Amino acid sequence: MSDKFVRAIRADEIAPGGMKAVELDGHEIVICNCAGTFYAIQRRCGHMNAALELGTLDGPFVTCAMHCAQFDVTTGQAIAGPVPADLGNESPPPKVAAFLQHAGMQMKHIRTESIRTYETKVEDGWVHVAP
Amino acid sequence: MDTKSRKKALHYFFDKVVDPLGFKFTPDVELMDFLLEQEVMLEGKHGIPFCPCQPIRHDRARDMQIVCPCIPFHRKHFDAIKRCWCGLFVHKDVIDPDSLPQLPPKDVGFE
Repeated sequence: MSDKFVRAIRADEIAPGGMKAVELDGHEIVICNCAGTFYAIQRRCGHMNAALELGTLDGPFVTCAMHCAQFDVTTGQAIAGPVPADLGNESPPPKVAAFLQHAGMQMKHIRTESIRTYETKVEDGWVHVAP
Repeated sequence: MDTKSRKKALHYFFDKVVDPLGFKFTPDVELMDFLLEQEVMLEGKHGIPFCPCQPIRHDRARDMQIVCPCIPFHRKHFDAIKRCWCGLFVHKDVIDPDSLPQLPPKDVGFE
């Protein structure tokens, strides 16, 4: 095994469709079990840095729990940006509306970037990641 | 957003919707690729993957009925012609989509 790989977790620690966050050599990494194949991605969402393991994994696509930005865990490519909040039909109170307008102005410049992926391999029942 | 990745994602998520409805992606891979690409472009422009063969009328109630996959909104017509309007989806038993007759809704009694 190449030196660059670091033993991360046991393969049976994550059920198919599950994710687990680990820290390896100072890198925050999420290991994803996509139907028995393991992928490793950076832990921080490419939109606003939320922890991706708190989201959901559907096939090879992870959805961030914070604003629902989506990424392909096999390539790290962003496939969808944040979903706009549904505020319903009622207008928010003026102070809340002013805050939302201010926040909206700040956030409109935020881009959803693709995320980093890491090489993985399974050996002797352990998932190894190259951070 | 990378078009190829978005097409892959739309394919994955659409398949989960249309499969229980008795439909599948058209076996014409070139057409499927072209239509998904158009939807990615429409999504980039409007934020929603509208059907590429239908006009956007800027009437929300009507426009929501042409968001792909629009099968539930036009089910009777699609069942009669065994495909959706643009041909991205066909009935699961269809092998040759080019052999399907093009029947307008009024010809099958829906208008």
